[in-house]
Amino acid sequence: MVSQSDNEVSQKLKALREKFLKRAREDIRELSTYAEQTRSGTLSAEALIRCYQSLHRLAGSAGTFGLPKLGQEARLLEKKLKSQAEQLGDTPEVHRQSIEVPEDFADGIDTLAELVEVKAESSGNPAAKQTTLVAENRIDGSHGMQVRILLIDADASGAVGSLSAELARYGFICQFVDERDEKALKTAVSKSGSAASVLCRDSILPTIMPLVISQRGEGSRRRLPVVAIGDDDTFDNNYLVAKAGASAFFSAPINVPELAERIESLAIERSSGVNGRVLIVEDDIELAEHYCLVLRSAGIEAEPLTRPDRLMAELSAFQPDIVLMDVQIGAYSGVNLARLIRFESRWLSLPIIYLSSEDDRDNQLEALSQGADEFLVKPVSDDYLVRSVRIRCYRARQLSDLMNRDSLTGLLKHSLIKQELEKELARCRRFGHASSVVMIDLDHFKQVNDTWGHRQGDIVIRALANLLRNRLRETDIIGRYGGEEFAVVLPDCSVQAAMAVIKGIGESFSELAFSVGDSAFHVTLSAGVSEINDFVNGDDALEAADQALYHRKREGRNGVTIYRPD
Amino acid sequence: MSAVSDREITRVLYVEDDPDIRAIAEIALQEIGGFEAALCESGAVAVETAPSFEPELILLDVMMPGMDGPSTLKALRELDGMAEIPVIFMTARLQNSEIREYRELGALGVIPKPFDPMTLSDQISRILRDARD
Repeated sequence: MVSQSDNEVSQKLKALREKFLKRAREDIRELSTYAEQTRSGTLSAEALIRCYQSLHRLAGSAGTFGLPKLGQEARLLEKKLKSQAEQLGDTPEVHRQSIEVPEDFADGIDTLAELVEVKAESSGNPAAKQTTLVAENRIDGSHGMQVRILLIDADASGAVGSLSAELARYGFICQFVDERDEKALKTAVSKSGSAASVLCRDSILPTIMPLVISQRGEGSRRRLPVVAIGDDDTFDNNYLVAKAGASAFFSAPINVPELAERIESLAIERSSGVNGRVLIVEDDIELAEHYCLVLRSAGIEAEPLTRPDRLMAELSAFQPDIVLMDVQIGAYSGVNLARLIRFESRWLSLPIIYLSSEDDRDNQLEALSQGADEFLVKPVSDDYLVRSVRIRCYRARQLSDLMNRDSLTGLLKHSLIKQELEKELARCRRFGHASSVVMIDLDHFKQVNDTWGHRQGDIVIRALANLLRNRLRETDIIGRYGGEEFAVVLPDCSVQAAMAVIKGIGESFSELAFSVGDSAFHVTLSAGVSEINDFVNGDDALEAADQALYHRKREGRNGVTIYRPD
Repeated sequence: MSAVSDREITRVLYVEDDPDIRAIAEIALQEIGGFEAALCESGAVAVETAPSFEPELILLDVMMPGMDGPSTLKALRELDGMAEIPVIFMTARLQNSEIREYRELGALGVIPKPFDPMTLSDQISRILRDARD
């Protein structure tokens, strides 16, 4: 699939780009002649149609050959001529007459002439650049993606089917599938999307598992997690369920909050299938390109860097999970570069892996002691490279999650949510939109802990975290602010809209039944909302939301209050 | 709408008047995408080529001199065994009304131009996969 022939391919692409460039220059030279004619008012209808065709071709092709700006400019000019050209095309008798065109047309052609001289984007892959930009400023979250549960049962009132309404209250999309309808099962499993999970009775695992396994690969590398429920909680049965390949087993009576919690975490684990970002520092351009192609073909984002003096800039721009580096890059030593990377505190925990033909253990250790983390000894097979990079990226992500996220809920920690709030405030100022911040607090939470124990308290907190993740947009930022307090930043959302959203979530939350033995209890929440833009800094906005929350508490809890300055 | 079988598609016919685009599409389809591709410079050539090449997928540029994309599709559909072959239009003018129009003509989807040669085959696979579901 990916091999030396890739080099051949890129050579060919390069040659084609050169050829295209030559022709584009000729086309634009011709267009410039026409532009002169428009300035002197002598452009014929026929020539205008030619311009139009030539611009259309440029618009549709320049981007393919690494000149997207040229293409876009040509598209604008094409649009300007469109109606005229189409009209004239239908009336050939006037083709020799001279006609007028929009004033700025000739200037537009001059711009094209400049753009065609701008060096083509070397990678020819603008898409890769775009993802880099998007990822730069974002904290990965799995929310905004509602988790789908496929409830597979003989009928909707069965042991599994009947859980639908209760699970839906947690914000899951529940889809009932008849276990006897093989076609429907197949469609449901293959179309479930990445954030999804299967729920079924343990007795039908032998027919469900093969189906789930065979449908893997449609959209996700990892198969759909299967959660089984049943009556028999003996070790032997648990073992059988595990052997069948299920990810979790719940025995009757089903503890729904725990079930919801498990489904949520399984689905998140699967959907967060980010395979990582790797910066490859290697002076052998062909080798660097080869590694990149191998990794990209496995879904890992990889960028080559052949000039070490661009290292720090590239780190900031690309924000890799790990760095793969040759021990000697031209005149630069990888050991020194590793140390240099550590000069910046933000890269202290960035894993650096040497790719080297050094197989002397002592020399390896010597190099490692200078700031890098591991050795991959060349030559590495493509498969080995992908696997080891993937594992290291995964661990690196886990580690940064550990540092940034609250362990109980997986939400952002206090300090990070405040950072995100400041960022959003800056965005509001730049783009002029209104955004809201919400403080949420569980009502009478101390009583929950005192009456039902801390374990139940934790379950309640996790249930709210999951509900928030499920119901809010992917662009919303959710954090656990303190014990039973949550902070949510809602970009581009008025306080009224924020109130409506949080109210709805509060209502769903109050309907959740937390069961302990034979009894069950419910918990409500209070929230305060403020508009971020009204304040000079994020802390003040948060303080205002907190005041509104305080008012809500005094006015009887269980609801949402908008901040009003006294 | 044309039927898309679960069978892996290997033979692709691409009709495009611009020789540069044909050249890069050939690489994008054959060497990057792993398809077997036949490139035709006009609708008329496509009608001649199709019966012997037996394509499993047809890519059609919309705006071509002479026979344009939609009329090429019509002509191809009349050939033996071509009534059901899936078709994707390639167009630089992406307006909803036009996309609807092409879909009504039986196209599976539309790929906007300019396309990225490195990901063209991924775009094709995505459209085929969506159509299968």
